[in-house]
Amino acid sequence: MRTRHFVETYEKHVSLSHNPVTWSWALLLVLALALLPMVASSYLLSLATTVGIAAIGAIGLNILTGSTGLISLGQAGFLASGCYTTGLLIADYNWPPELALLMAGVVPALLSLLVGVPSLRLKGLYLAITTMAFSFIVTHFLLYAEGITHGPYGVRVEDLNFLGLDLATTTGLYTLVLVTAILVTLMALNILRTRVGRAFTAIRDHDIAARVMGISLVRYKLVAFMVSSFFVGIAGGLMAFQFRFINVDIFNVLLSIEALAMVIVGGLGSVAGAIMGAVFIVLLPEATREALDLLPTGVNNMLSTYIYEIRGLLTGLTIIIMLRIKPQGLVGLWRDVQRYWTQWPLSK
Amino acid sequence: MTSILSLSGVTKRFGGLTAVSDVTFDVPEGAIYSVIGPNGAGKTTLFNLVSALFAPSDGEIVFDGHALHRASTHQLVDFGIGRTFQNLAIFGHATVVQNLLVGLHHTLKANPFTAALFWGPARNEEIRARKQVEKIIDFLEIEHLRDTPVGLLSYGLQKRVELGRALATGPRLLLLDEMVSGMNSEETEDIARFILDIREELGVTVVMVEHDMGIVMDISDRVAVLNHGALIGEGTPAEISANEAVIQAYLGKN
Repeated sequence: MRTRHFVETYEKHVSLSHNPVTWSWALLLVLALALLPMVASSYLLSLATTVGIAAIGAIGLNILTGSTGLISLGQAGFLASGCYTTGLLIADYNWPPELALLMAGVVPALLSLLVGVPSLRLKGLYLAITTMAFSFIVTHFLLYAEGITHGPYGVRVEDLNFLGLDLATTTGLYTLVLVTAILVTLMALNILRTRVGRAFTAIRDHDIAARVMGISLVRYKLVAFMVSSFFVGIAGGLMAFQFRFINVDIFNVLLSIEALAMVIVGGLGSVAGAIMGAVFIVLLPEATREALDLLPTGVNNMLSTYIYEIRGLLTGLTIIIMLRIKPQGLVGLWRDVQRYWTQWPLSK
Repeated sequence: MTSILSLSGVTKRFGGLTAVSDVTFDVPEGAIYSVIGPNGAGKTTLFNLVSALFAPSDGEIVFDGHALHRASTHQLVDFGIGRTFQNLAIFGHATVVQNLLVGLHHTLKANPFTAALFWGPARNEEIRARKQVEKIIDFLEIEHLRDTPVGLLSYGLQKRVELGRALATGPRLLLLDEMVSGMNSEETEDIARFILDIREELGVTVVMVEHDMGIVMDISDRVAVLNHGALIGEGTPAEISANEAVIQAYLGKN
């Protein structure tokens, strides 16, 4: 029975994990993900790419909604501004993709001030509606400012080379997304374990006490908006690489709600939760498709007319059941399993 | 003794209601100073004025040369004022250590960029902060609770963590709003001991709002009495318990 209790130095107290076993597992996971292109089909690899991009976006949203307690329905707006920034800088201004991807973080971070400043005094549903309005404004702008954004014609980015990676290949894009996702994960974990992250959670748990502890609400709410939308914007930039043809249609409210579902199903306020939520929500429709394939051919053919409706239904049902049995989300489930395992045979 | 906190003519009106009216008193440095009064007397409002959560309608509040009536709440810790709340204001999801670390916020420097890298100075200051927190854990005798989420602790212990968080800010003045309400006599005794230790060992001036007359009369150096927002008595505990106006406010005229 491992207790994980005994730590000898303060250095270990502030480390991400003082347990070598945790580090070995994490390393093993990264290794497995790095080697995935050697065994996986290109369909599986592009699915993994989608998961990775969703995870980056969910980590970003989780900083704002999970850690700071500011509910946002503006995810689509931040994704769109990141996506278009990268796309337009490459297509119209011939920027190198490396810099264009960086700007996909910077531009939404600055834009987030536009929604952040008026939202300083708003909480809960009022903030959710305000961020949703922001999202509408962004997509409206993208659609009608034709001179800048190509409007309804969309933006095409092709034949990109990112630090030697050929993004036209599934493996190249997958590698870029994997490396970015790892970097974003580490940065988010680091931010959340310093005074910045503690200020976020203090604001979420008790904003008046946070002020009395010397935390400026104005400053840290805006910081939360900027950090969050920087990561979300990077996810948007990667979407430009993935789709190669960008159109404003996909950045709708459903996308924002889906992102919120990832964060809630995964576990609010946890980086690992955001990643698990992204994996879950992206793969759920795939899983329900596989599940339906298991049915006898006759039944399957009968259902095939309504296949999309059934898949949507199953997806929604799974989320509801999931939240009913484990409101702490997947990360809560994960901790239960961990506890069971470490305390075996005394666990119950 | 020099005064560390002085209120002069402090008035707070909410619409037609005068919650605090023309209150003037000085808190000597190093004192344990109690503010008492019946329910609704304006004690907590007075605390909120001192902690710059509200601005006074009239009057001045000066702490160590800083005009609190013009300050923002988040500046208080920089001036050297720590505070606890009447209703628990802890960060319930966070552990004891994390709660105490929030108290050190203003002593740390990391910004989102250095925090994201967690390298060099950003890492060193976290290690330093963690060490500092250990001193407070030791002082408040909560070693066994370090990694417990505060929301799971008993009321008395949650209050103790809140006291620790206020101490972590490194205050010269501590404002305690009804620390012992709802505590049993053992827990109250613990808190009384901590308050005395805080004054003796750390040299912190303590101002407390309190309903528990036992603790007020036993450990305070001076007491101020509010009734309907106005100051009706101020002096040593002995003077206060002999004060006619105070007796009338508490017991009524016969």
